[in-house]
Amino acid sequence: MSLYSICDSIQSSGLMTHVRETPWVYPIIMSIHVVCIAVFGGMILMTDLRLLGVGLKDKTVAEVVGGLRPFKRIGFVVMVTCGLLMAGTEAPQYYRNPYFWTKMALLVLVGVHAMMFKSTVYDHPEELDKSPVLPTRAKAAAAFSLILWVSLPVFGRLIAYYEPDESKASQTATFVLK
Amino acid sequence: MAFPALVQPNPIGDALNHIEWAFPLAECFHIVFFAMAIGTVMIVDLRLLGLAFQKQTPASLARDTWVYTLIGLVVAVLAGMTLFVSDPRMYTHNSSFRFKMTALIVAIIYHYTVHHKVVSSNSSAGVNAVVGAISVLLWSSVVVGGIFIGLI
Repeated sequence: MSLYSICDSIQSSGLMTHVRETPWVYPIIMSIHVVCIAVFGGMILMTDLRLLGVGLKDKTVAEVVGGLRPFKRIGFVVMVTCGLLMAGTEAPQYYRNPYFWTKMALLVLVGVHAMMFKSTVYDHPEELDKSPVLPTRAKAAAAFSLILWVSLPVFGRLIAYYEPDESKASQTATFVLK
Repeated sequence: MAFPALVQPNPIGDALNHIEWAFPLAECFHIVFFAMAIGTVMIVDLRLLGLAFQKQTPASLARDTWVYTLIGLVVAVLAGMTLFVSDPRMYTHNSSFRFKMTALIVAIIYHYTVHHKVVSSNSSAGVNAVVGAISVLLWSSVVVGGIFIGLI
């Protein structure tokens, strides 16, 4: 079973057919996805600016990181769920889309970022407040996070701009049919 | 309408329509900076709703975030104007775009009048919650209006 045929079955599943074909369902999911980007993406940007020592300097790192953490988590889950539903409705097209795969790679890097910095930065923000200057690891975490979270919506947007080479697309389809 | 007829052929619009990367690039600036603007407003709104930063006053949160809200808004609006001139006729006739502009104007006025006033004074928890909820609703409507421009 190829990845392409898996994508095809995802697209044809009852849930994805429902999302694609029921009026308003897809636009509503897309709206939730983008509202989450605005609300929670904006919070991620601000946390990073605090860790870099640029923004929200009146508040301690612990206050900013701790205060926003539960909301960023909820936002992440909602954003990813909506994103998966949208991708699932047209899975075979996404399978051919390089911007989609770049975005997935960036999401893997989000996981890598969490593994690298969770215990040293995000789980103990009060340690960062104790040192007179923000430690390099905090700034590194923030810079890495900023790059990731600016790139993610950018590649998300670019997914819509990819035009597959039709001759290649039909070749893939023929290959799968065989 | 006379105004869009005047701006229809214009150098920025030409660039957006003829340079492959121009339109998506402007869109990316639009998205990242509206996220910055709305995300910072939401930090204050969470406090108004009593959901986060209980030890801080709304005023002190606003003092730390207002400049990012303003930068985000200015860049997002400039990028949005750039997108608009690529096809003014289409946008002015798009009902979702008209809804978005109405919501945006209301949201901006609300933010710098009612919201600002309540945030800087010691209002009751009830007043804070109502003002915060309206703010969340207004800014979300602007985003949703933007999405539907391409869908209707």
